[in-house]
Order: sequence, then C-alpha cells, then structure tokens
Amino acid sequence: MEPQFLYSLITGIFIGGVAGYLGSLMITKRMALVGDALGHVALPGVALALIYGFNVSLGAVPALILGITLIWLFEMRTKLPMEALTGIVFTASVAIAFLFLPEEKVSTALIGDISQVGLWDTLVSAILCIFTFLVLRKIFSKIILANLSENLAKVEHIKVERYNFIYLACIAIVVALGIKVTGSLLMGALVIIPAAAARNFSRNLFQYSFGALLIGGISCLLGILAFKFFSLPAGPLIVLIAFLIFLISLIFKKI
Amino acid sequence: MAETILKVKNLNVELGKEKVLEDLDFDLAEKEILVILGPNGAGKSVLLRTLLGLHPFKGKISWTPKNIHIGYVPDDFDVPPDLPLNVKEFFHFKRINLPEILPALQWVGIENPSKFVGKRLGTLSRGQLRRTVIAWVLVDRPSVILLDEPMVGIDIQGRESIYNSLVKIWQKQNQAIILVSHEIGEVVKKADKILALNKKKLFYGKPEEVITSQNLAKIYGATISL
Repeated sequence: MEPQFLYSLITGIFIGGVAGYLGSLMITKRMALVGDALGHVALPGVALALIYGFNVSLGAVPALILGITLIWLFEMRTKLPMEALTGIVFTASVAIAFLFLPEEKVSTALIGDISQVGLWDTLVSAILCIFTFLVLRKIFSKIILANLSENLAKVEHIKVERYNFIYLACIAIVVALGIKVTGSLLMGALVIIPAAAARNFSRNLFQYSFGALLIGGISCLLGILAFKFFSLPAGPLIVLIAFLIFLISLIFKKI
Repeated sequence: MAETILKVKNLNVELGKEKVLEDLDFDLAEKEILVILGPNGAGKSVLLRTLLGLHPFKGKISWTPKNIHIGYVPDDFDVPPDLPLNVKEFFHFKRINLPEILPALQWVGIENPSKFVGKRLGTLSRGQLRRTVIAWVLVDRPSVILLDEPMVGIDIQGRESIYNSLVKIWQKQNQAIILVSHEIGEVVKKADKILALNKKKLFYGKPEEVITSQNLAKIYGATISL
C-alpha cells in the first residue's frame, strides 16, 4: 500500500470517527445542520488557503474561530436560536468567499481532496482528533444535562456558557479537519449521518455515541477504499456510504 | 429549636425593565416545609431561581451554611422522545451507581426499579419522569430541596401519589423543602409556612393562620370556600 494512500485512510478514519461522536451530541442539541453551516463559515479561510497554497484546515481555523465567536456573542446578546444565528453568519461567509475564490478551486473547496494529505497532516489530524474526542467525552454528560434543563445543570454547578463555548470550539476543530475529507459542502454529512444512523441502532447513550463514532470511521474507511478502486472523488463516496449505512439502520430502528 | 437556614430580606428582582418580585421577606428553618402559592406569572419560579443564584437581585438572601447542599427540581425539564438516554445513564451523570439508584427510585414510588432503570427517559410518562427527576435530585441527600410545580400536568391520582412520596421522603430524611405551587389542596396540609405572592407578598405565615377564604381570594381573585 502506498504511504500517501495509507495517510489518507488513517486521516479519514480519525476524522470520521470524531465527527460521528460529535454528531451524536449535535443531533441531541438539535444542531445537526450547524455542522453543515459551519463548513460554509470556513469557506473564506479555505479559499485563502487554496489561493496561497497552504493547508485548508489551517485556513479554516481562523475563519471558524471568528464565525463561532460571532455566533456565541450574538447568542448571549439576542437569545435567538443558535441555528438562526449560524444561518446569518454562514450566508455572510459564503458571500465573502465567493467574492475572491477562483473558479478552478471551487470544486476542491466544496467537496474536499483527501488524496493530498502528507505524514505531518496525518499526525496532526490524529492528535487533534484524539484530543477533541477526549474533551467531548469529558463534557458529553454535562452538555446533555444542560440540554434537558439548563437551570438544573447550573444548580449542579455546571458552567453552561463555558461548556457551550468548549463544545463550539470542538465543532470548529472537527469542521476544520473534516473540510479536508469532504469539503465545505458535504462537511455536515460527516456529523449528521453517522449519528442519525447510530440513533436508529441504539438502546442507550453509550451505544449511540460510540455507534456514531464507529459508523463515522467505517464510512470514511470504505469511502476512501472506494475512491482508490473507482477513482471517483472521495468526499461524495464517503457521504454516500454513510447514507447507505443510514438506510440499513432503518431496519433496526427501535420504536 | 430548629436553626434558620435561609433568610430573605427586602428581595427585589427585575427581569429586563420589569419588576418581577418586590420587597419580599421570609425565612426557612431546617426540616421546615415552605409552600409558595400564587397565580401563574406571580414570580414563583423566578423566586426559586433567584434563591438558587440564577437571577441577579437586590436585597439579601443568606443561606446557612453558605455552601449548603441544595437540590432543585425544575419545571423546565424536557426530554426529546427519541433521545436514547436511559434512567441508569441519567443517574451516572451524577456518578451514582445501581446500589444507590434502586432505593432512590423506590422512595419516589417507582415499582420494579431494577427493570425501570433500563427504560429510556423519553418513553416515560410525565408522572414517571417527574418522579425520576425527584429521585435524581434526592439521591445525594441535599439539605434543602426546591421543587418548582412538581405536580403540573399530572392527573389527580398521580399528584397525590407524588405528594405522598415527598412527604414520606421528608419524614425519613428531614430536609427542608420549598415547594412552588399554583394550586391549594393536599400540598398545604403538611406545610409549616405558606408564602403567597403575586410579585409582592400577599400573605405569609402558618397555614392554619393564613389559609382563609379572604386570603385565598387575594391570590385567585375569587372567593373560595374551604
């Protein structure tokens, strides 16, 4: 197996896994489409990275930090639903990106290109994925409790605003990494579909969150293998495999 | 003599520009049951949340000891029906394990708790969910419990049953209780004190002294025969 292909596989599995795990939390918080929207928030940074030839994740990070900070500040100021605020910031970001994104780079920005990752990319992605997973695992129950009753969570000494910010930061990291795999347009699928499929399979929270992690990792593994054999773009293949798993999960749906 | 664990003096709360609570004074001793009555929108829930430190206020709220362990049963506890979170996992959020979960569920009148712990929260009836939340709050034995409308949305039999469970727990554990309700009935019989409010204090004292037709008319705006 060529090292380049191996790097793609490892990067994809790590990113797919942590995106699935994060997705289980995002669906619970009714924020499934936020991942999708944040993929678009990152577009101005991705566009700059593609124009000047540096790592797209590095380009995505500052755009996402700026976008998420704006969403967080708007939420504290207005108490409007986070999805509405994300919608405002993401449409503005797409508008800005398309003012200067060259036409020949549009496809890479929108559907990603996992075949270009190197050794360092793989190492950094794996470390960031493990770190994000551990942080998410630590805050998982606190975020769920705050979702059931914010007041109860606060009385139980959970700093809800702080944990929401950490959670949003985790989304930013996962989106920045995921853009490499599926691009801005399809990033949402990496968080939504594995978690939705796991929800159909699972009887409890553990099965749900770790099922989502597993399905995310497997979708990326099979998608990148399919990319190798069929020479079709990896991002859409990963998304379609996740969708296939979701269809299979419907058979096992617990009522 | 029972020690005072809560003193509230000249409490005023504004949310935005609206005055929600004005000039409230009351106290709570250990092992005491205080029932807060009032119509919808009277500021009862805001009062509880203010006591918990969730709203800014003017005046004085002093708990003794300062770091007293408070349990809170909120009125906004909502579980998405499809959330695969079971009762056992819900207790694990507090790092509470099965040997402590089962008796806690029994206290609140859940039958066959060892089977019940595997149920998903989203599939429980309103009454079962309310009992589960009460058990969750009580399991680590707080010194005082604040309950916000624990009977809302539950039928009369269910209400009586939950109320009886609460009284049993109180007899066993002797916590002080502050219970918010917008209706009179069983709930006032065991109360040591009643505080009725509609933004301002309407009346405050022992039930036998303050529960009169005239006083109830102050709350509900109509004469109620006892």
